[in-house]
Amino acid sequence: MTALLSVEGLAAGYGGALAVRGLDFAVAEGSIAVLVGANGAGKTTTVQVIAGALRPSGGTVRFAGEAVTGRDCPVMVERGVTLVPEGRLIFSRMTVEENLKMGAINRRAARNLGRNLERVFTLFPRLAQRRHQFGGSMSGGEQQMLAIARGLMAEPRLMILDEPSLGLAPKIVAEMFGLIRQLNVEGITILLVEQNVRQSLQLADQAFVIEKGRVVLSGDGPTLLDEPFVRTAFLGL
Amino acid sequence: MARTLLVVVLALLLFAALATLPLFLKAFYIRVGLSIFLSAGFAVCWWLLAGFTAYYSFGHTAFVGVGAFAAALTLRAVAAAAPGLQLAAGLLAGLVTAAVIAAAIAWPILRLRGHYFTIAMLAVALVLGEAVSAFPVFGGSAGLSLPNIAPSGMRVEAFFYWLALALLAIVMAIAWIISRSRLGYGLAAIREDEDAAQMLGVPTTRFKVVAFVLSGGLTGALGAVYALNLGYITTDSVFRGSLSLEMIVNSLVGGMGSLLGPVIGAAIMTGVTKLVLADLLEYHLAITGLLIVAVVLVAPDGVAGLWRRTRR
Repeated sequence: MTALLSVEGLAAGYGGALAVRGLDFAVAEGSIAVLVGANGAGKTTTVQVIAGALRPSGGTVRFAGEAVTGRDCPVMVERGVTLVPEGRLIFSRMTVEENLKMGAINRRAARNLGRNLERVFTLFPRLAQRRHQFGGSMSGGEQQMLAIARGLMAEPRLMILDEPSLGLAPKIVAEMFGLIRQLNVEGITILLVEQNVRQSLQLADQAFVIEKGRVVLSGDGPTLLDEPFVRTAFLGL
Repeated sequence: MARTLLVVVLALLLFAALATLPLFLKAFYIRVGLSIFLSAGFAVCWWLLAGFTAYYSFGHTAFVGVGAFAAALTLRAVAAAAPGLQLAAGLLAGLVTAAVIAAAIAWPILRLRGHYFTIAMLAVALVLGEAVSAFPVFGGSAGLSLPNIAPSGMRVEAFFYWLALALLAIVMAIAWIISRSRLGYGLAAIREDEDAAQMLGVPTTRFKVVAFVLSGGLTGALGAVYALNLGYITTDSVFRGSLSLEMIVNSLVGGMGSLLGPVIGAAIMTGVTKLVLADLLEYHLAITGLLIVAVVLVAPDGVAGLWRRTRR
């Protein structure tokens, strides 16, 4: 098992305040890894740094064996890291199809635009039905699917999903976790940030509990689900 | 593909038809056409930045002024050359100088978003205007005169009509090509949501700088033509807030959603001003104002937007 992504001693924050300090974890190629933790634990900051949207103030990020610390988003997307951001950030005044094309803006993915569009429409038949509808006119669940589909258009090796279940109905959440598993089966390594601890841990090959900007517990998902700390802190048992 | 070809052929036919008009029209109407092409050209240049990225510049007259003065000074330096060479030198000077200045201010100014960018561009235009009028090399309050470079035997207004038409065609062609390129898609993503665009891997800073420099440089080239047509320029005539305003108003009236918008808007606004209001000088501004209010109320997406909405 080789690590596709590894983070060592990461420190990052906004202004003077560090949201993340001394964070270490590694994600094995082909796995589903989950970061869980309370609000403000530093999960979003961590994935923003990995995706290149935020410059770290210390530590290293390695992807596919190379140090990529501080590289910006265009470089990271080109190398195969795609972030589906918290709050989805779809283009509401563009059609579904235009949104998807925007996902393939990097040179590598732009070459395979037609093939990827077909693949995404097969995977998300509902998006195919709505391809000429404005992104903003769809339901929250559909918008989240669109955000994931748009991320897929970039042909990621590592897909980072930040709070994809936020604000979705339980039935849609279940559907989405099923989809994430399917993407993983197709060979995409997944790094998932979730507050929905129970469902995401059931899915996880590797899980990391973050508190105050560092990893305090790690293991495979089912083991962590039985961990007393996780049970009391996140599951209310 | 067939549709692309059709658009290109239609556009070429339209421009060819427009190019024959000076053979039939009276001098006054040729000058009206010239004014429309110049203001349409300016509006498209402004739209190159604003329409693609939603960075609304309130100071594009800075590039008109820079282009105009660069052309005037260059023409002095090459006064002995053939008129054709003089024209080429003037255009090139306008283009390059405005592009260089745009490139120099691009990085700091494009870090500002929304209204902050708009106001910063207003300041850029004011500062450049003041700076130009402060140095004697630019003629001070007396201004600079430019030589007549129209070939002898050709009517001056017809020559500038063709020149402005050619530049308008070039600017529109550049905008059209961008709208179908990776750059165009990236800029559209920036317009809709700059943070999302960055996440998707759009090199947002680089794309914005390219759009800004292209927009500024081409405005400078048109500014050179504007100055040559005027024959005599001062800071007040080329660093003029109303020039910036016209680019914005023309684009809004015509519609920001498509390349044809600024052109339609310029045709309407300049046409109305020159043809209908020429005899009503005292009501001119009031009527222009009413027209803008009407457009905002009836057709918030401009005339081009209205057309698209009725077809849906």
